[in-house]
Amino acid sequence: MASSAIKSGALVNLTELHPSSQFYEEGASLRVTGKLQDYAVEAAMAIIADGNAILKIDTQHLRDLSFRVGSIYQFIGELHIQADCEAILQARVGRNVDGLDLNLYRQSLQLLRQFQADRMNNTVT
Amino acid sequence: MDHTLQNTHVKLLAFDLLSLTPTPDPATFSRSGKLLSRAEIVGTITSRDHKPSKFIKFTVDDGTGCVPCVLWLNHLTSLYLPRRDPSTVRLIAGVATDFAAKIKIGLVARVRGRIASYRGDVQIMASDVVIERDPNMEVLHWLDCLRLARKRYDVVVNKS
Repeated sequence: MASSAIKSGALVNLTELHPSSQFYEEGASLRVTGKLQDYAVEAAMAIIADGNAILKIDTQHLRDLSFRVGSIYQFIGELHIQADCEAILQARVGRNVDGLDLNLYRQSLQLLRQFQADRMNNTVT
Repeated sequence: MDHTLQNTHVKLLAFDLLSLTPTPDPATFSRSGKLLSRAEIVGTITSRDHKPSKFIKFTVDDGTGCVPCVLWLNHLTSLYLPRRDPSTVRLIAGVATDFAAKIKIGLVARVRGRIASYRGDVQIMASDVVIERDPNMEVLHWLDCLRLARKRYDVVVNKS
């Protein structure tokens, strides 16, 4: 098995996904978390939200996951930017994360990024 | 080299584990002057390749990287366990089979095992797999990794 074939989903807040963001790139592998705002069964399209930010999730490849509006979900997948500049995450993994302490999650993510940056800098120097 | 972490499962983030430095001993790796041989990771299972009675290969993605893992299932036919009591071998094989059945894409797993190298890439030879249902456990593992790195793993012990 080639480990490089499976890309790690970079942890990103929905509020960070805008056209000028480093994460906003065609094909970027991301992990996103948000509350399910809407779900269209026929199109297998979910919309998750975090504050004022929303993101469409293509869930057609997901199995064994039930969708409940109001629940919090986490998806790992690749970002596709359509012709109208709308971004959709093609999910390959998804899970219900009801019970996740979102404040702790966001704060920990910042600490994690700082730690990772510090390690990278120490490795380079 | 510091050997004090060699017999414990160090809690590491994927990017940290994947950047460990090999040593002449294939069973040990170095990180910040310390020798490691075992690790514990927590993340989402994003791939799975199951060959019954042989192995199950899977990847664990914790958001900082993807760690390849392998759980051997060939205990009953392996040439490496002939000196073990047959009932013990069957027990080990049964436990490994139970672990394999739990490994499913999308679930979050805590994996402990030996650090190994395969074709130049670091991987985990899993000995324990626990599925974590509480969504906060992954965040807790991040914080554990950060805290342990600061308090223990990155601390340089001066021998006087």
